[in-house]
Amino acid sequence: MGEVLQFRSSASLEKLTGTKAYTLAELLLMIRTCTESSIFYHTFSAFLKMREVRLPYNSDFASWVYGSLNERALAEQMMAVDFFEYNTVESLRERLTGVIEGYRAFKPSAFEKKADEPFYLHDVQRFVYLTDKFAYDLTSFREILPTISLYSLYYHFIESRLETKFQCDDFSIWIEESLAIPELAKRIRGIDIHVYTLEGLRERIIGIIDEYILVRDNGSQKKRGKRKMRDEE
Amino acid sequence: MSEASLFDYRDVVGPDIIEELMILASHVGDRSIKMVNSTAVGGGVAEMLRRIVPLLSELGVQVEWEVIKGDEPFFEITKAFHNALQGKSRVFSEEELETYLRYNDMNEQEMKFDQDLIVIHDPQPAAMIRHHEHRKNRWVWRCHIDLSHPNEQLWRFMAPMIERYDAAIFTSALFSPSLKIPQYRFYPAIDPLDDKNKDLKETYIDEVFRKYKIPRDKPIVTQISRYDPWKDPVGVVKAFKLARKYVDCRLLLVGDKAADDPESDTILAKVEEEAGDHPDIHILLFSPSIATEINAFQRGSDIVLQKSLREGFALTVSEALWKRRPVIGGAVGGIPVQIIDGHTGLLAHTVEGAGLAIRSLLNQPDFARQLGENGRCRVKDEFLITKNLKRYLLLLLALDKPRRGTVFLNS
Repeated sequence: MGEVLQFRSSASLEKLTGTKAYTLAELLLMIRTCTESSIFYHTFSAFLKMREVRLPYNSDFASWVYGSLNERALAEQMMAVDFFEYNTVESLRERLTGVIEGYRAFKPSAFEKKADEPFYLHDVQRFVYLTDKFAYDLTSFREILPTISLYSLYYHFIESRLETKFQCDDFSIWIEESLAIPELAKRIRGIDIHVYTLEGLRERIIGIIDEYILVRDNGSQKKRGKRKMRDEE
Repeated sequence: MSEASLFDYRDVVGPDIIEELMILASHVGDRSIKMVNSTAVGGGVAEMLRRIVPLLSELGVQVEWEVIKGDEPFFEITKAFHNALQGKSRVFSEEELETYLRYNDMNEQEMKFDQDLIVIHDPQPAAMIRHHEHRKNRWVWRCHIDLSHPNEQLWRFMAPMIERYDAAIFTSALFSPSLKIPQYRFYPAIDPLDDKNKDLKETYIDEVFRKYKIPRDKPIVTQISRYDPWKDPVGVVKAFKLARKYVDCRLLLVGDKAADDPESDTILAKVEEEAGDHPDIHILLFSPSIATEINAFQRGSDIVLQKSLREGFALTVSEALWKRRPVIGGAVGGIPVQIIDGHTGLLAHTVEGAGLAIRSLLNQPDFARQLGENGRCRVKDEFLITKNLKRYLLLLLALDKPRRGTVFLNS
């Protein structure tokens, strides 16, 4: 038997930094110089706002560029940045600044615009803690999934990548390494988080596991049936 | 006022949320907290403390709440402070500033500050920090008002005091000034089990509408707000009239009359003039209102408006969203934080925009229902009292571990 999974969860205390950006140039400088936790808050944490409701953006930066500067093309490009390709905040920071700089070459006039409402830079202090929920095997994992909080789901599926530095979630790692079910791990790893709310994500993971169990059990039944037939012959 | 226990909130927010609060509380251990404010009853801060204090205590945190003493001269000055810190121009005399400090000194002498964390609410007791320069515990100033454009003279007087605190808490980035100390953001929150927000029987809702002679024969569009120019009740009537040309509906305006606000009579007269004798416009004035009736008005409405021109946070928006009502809000103050336009409600910038939004929602009931459902989720995630309990627990942990980045509580 592999390692037991004790579920973790996380909580964040939001900080105000007093730093504001009214223009793209100011936003660019802000993204270049702010703390890693600020970048984290305005990008990865945006998924927490999609716990149950699908929102039109996955990044506060992109949302401000869209809503306050009305630079839709840039907002689209920023939203299309797949955070999950970046397992360090520094690499994500570089990508975001690259996208904004690229836009300057494409549309210099956008940098002359000044928003009425500034972008307010926030920071965050994160706390990670163990919960009293455990999974010992696939059955107990499947049973416990509906009961973990969305914060816990968010931690294991999204936030922990920044700690493990892997480009995948905790669950698929555990399923592959501790339960030795690589085919199931691969399917869970392949979930496109950008198209789900956190509640939707939970349902998707459960759906994949249920399908796997059904196929596995049917397979075992068929094998048992064939064995029985052989024995009878 | 709700007397619900933590356990009662399980059914509202989910058992997982309460379980995690208990885990965080176990990490807080025996740390203690003291809340100090200026009034035990009346006003949003006292209302919030009356719920937060027992619930924190139930989570095992040693919590004490004390109210400063003062008489009329002191509270007159602090009321003027409140308005000036929100931008009202006024010159304060040396004598007034000294009176403010003297009352703070007197209160400081009578109180004990042995707890690990002292939370001072709003400007009234803020000067007590001056006697705690070499403290071992942490002091945090919780500011519930909009400090984005404070009166310059008063802010020059207050800012050095505020910067003696270990940290400050503001409701939103919109309301915070520039300070040299760390600042945290705590959104205000509603209590889902309070009379104003608890579930009601449909028969009671019917009864309330009957009591005030509001027929429920057609869709009802409601704004519940003081008769104050910044809440734009005249604009609401105009928006309703624009929409009424296309959709059959009623407008219900419900407002409290503040005893100390002579302006409300003038505004009410303007609202009545704009409404004329329109049979579908109902104007109610309370002094004061009954919480369960306000709850019933919100629940019995097809659309709730908060068409403000200037706002603090406007928790009335969260109250309506919690009841799954589609809400149309002015794009000011804290309203856009609660209403994500087109997803958890609609934002309006003008009378015409509000009129169009009313038409749009009444003609698209499925869309309106979806906004209401999404709005409830948004409130559940961010603007319920349980979230504020979590913030206080995290604050107790954060002040202990002020380093940046992630704190692993089990290591």
